Amino acid sequence: MTSKRTMFLFTLPALIVLGVFFVYPIVLTVQMSFTNFTGVGQADPVGLANYERIVSRDRYPAALWVTVKFTTVVVLIQTMAGLFFAAMLHRLPAIRNLCRAALFTPAMMSFVVVGYVWQFIYSPFSGGLNAALTQVGLEGWTRGWLGDPDTALLAIAFAHVWMFTGYTTAIFLAGYANIPAEIEEAGRLDNASSWQRFRYLEVPLLAPSFTINIMLSTIGTLKTFELPFIMTRGGPDGATRTLSLEIIGQLFGKYRFGFASSLSIVMLVIVIAVAVFQNWYLRRREDVS
Amino acid sequence: MTLASLRSFVVHTLVIALVVAMLLPLLYMITMSFRSATEIAQQPLGLPETLRWENYATALSSMNYLRSVLNSVGITVSVTVLVALLGSMAAYPLARNTGRAARVFILLVALGLATPNFVTITPIYVIFRDLGLLDSYPGIVLAFTALNLPLAVFFYVGFIGAIPRDLLEAAKLDNCSDWQTFWHVVRPLLGPATATLSLFVMLMVWNDFTYPLLLLTDKDKFTVTISVYRFVGNQNVQADVLFPAAVLGSLPLLILFVLFQRRIVAGVTAGAVK
Repeated sequence: MTSKRTMFLFTLPALIVLGVFFVYPIVLTVQMSFTNFTGVGQADPVGLANYERIVSRDRYPAALWVTVKFTTVVVLIQTMAGLFFAAMLHRLPAIRNLCRAALFTPAMMSFVVVGYVWQFIYSPFSGGLNAALTQVGLEGWTRGWLGDPDTALLAIAFAHVWMFTGYTTAIFLAGYANIPAEIEEAGRLDNASSWQRFRYLEVPLLAPSFTINIMLSTIGTLKTFELPFIMTRGGPDGATRTLSLEIIGQLFGKYRFGFASSLSIVMLVIVIAVAVFQNWYLRRREDVS
Repeated sequence: MTLASLRSFVVHTLVIALVVAMLLPLLYMITMSFRSATEIAQQPLGLPETLRWENYATALSSMNYLRSVLNSVGITVSVTVLVALLGSMAAYPLARNTGRAARVFILLVALGLATPNFVTITPIYVIFRDLGLLDSYPGIVLAFTALNLPLAVFFYVGFIGAIPRDLLEAAKLDNCSDWQTFWHVVRPLLGPATATLSLFVMLMVWNDFTYPLLLLTDKDKFTVTISVYRFVGNQNVQADVLFPAAVLGSLPLLILFVLFQRRIVAGVTAGAVK
């Protein structure tokens, strides 16, 4: 690179786009979060009132709690399901590629389609799940899955896991491909059982894949909006109202732009804190193993 | 049959059964799309009595399907080209420079990678409204470009950093300008990186729901996702409306996936691992 000037020219277009549609909006969000802006007209400064409101009403910590529950369930189940399929398919080369592609297919669909299809599967009367349960003699289990506060969040989490398990599987399989053949061979020569090889060889060696999978799914799920928005609108009784759903609700339902901004800042802080912590923790784990 | 081969047979069957179970909702969607609402209400799990193509005819004509596919293609392709071009241009000096300005830019990119779009959605809506960018193709293309640009810069910095320095020095000795070096030497080497990145960006943009929901209200500008959402949402969720719309909504990407599944899975995985 010959000069500072050309370097600047190369980055200029990206700088403009990021400046106008990323940096400026973040500054504006911070600024709006200290006002009572309603989207039009004058915005009056209100100091920390928006933030006080977040901590003093039950509604917002509850939304945060829903988000945390959802994220925990999704990340746990998805990682375990992905690991299971990858470990099995690694041992079954004949069907590996076909099954990997089949599992990946739901990730090609949009949240809108997945949300609507699963909403119908869960519906109380003509839905597929209740009909299937009835056919295998489990009538007692049938219910309106999305209408029951006890099951609504889990039901949505399950649809989310269904959508992305193939993704997790593919990343774990890529991790398996990086395990040197000699190590696998050594395990086999030592007469280690399939389970022992999995537990003591593969799981530690897959540490980088764990890092990627857990971080990707955590960041993706903490901001989850689409499935609860489409399937339940946050109901019943707030059982599926995540933080992002609350932000959009404040914005376009109540026109509280200032308050929505303060919720966004809370979300930003949480996401960055979780990402930094996970990155530190999981990478440290990679070094140990 | 020996014990080992019997065991292998059982394990294969079990895994295949589980994979098929994971595909059941997909098969359910396709099967239901050919049945009538009354059929489904009486027999929630049956096969179609006849293939009701008229379900599709209704959905096609009332959801403005072809128009929305064209909108999605146009928006997705524009965003992908812009992201690849602006991202690789910005990464070129950043990959070779460690000055303070470069470090600040990289930090900005890292922040962009971690920031959920919900943090910027409120001001973006306000800015768009004030600039008259709501309901416009350039508006939504720019919003998506900004959302994906940090990933692209991050991605390209890694790839450009791996290009041997001698190659760029040689270009300089041949009296190539910085732009000529970038365009004729660096850019062609980024082919595989661009392919991977583009897959990632295309999937994200094509399937995104939030931006078109908030930034587009004109029916003629709807993307496929939003047109499915508005169409089904308006109908009080009737099965014979929902399922054909869901199939049509996923069809373009599912066709691409069947044709290029190996490259898509490999590309998306590589993009995530990078």
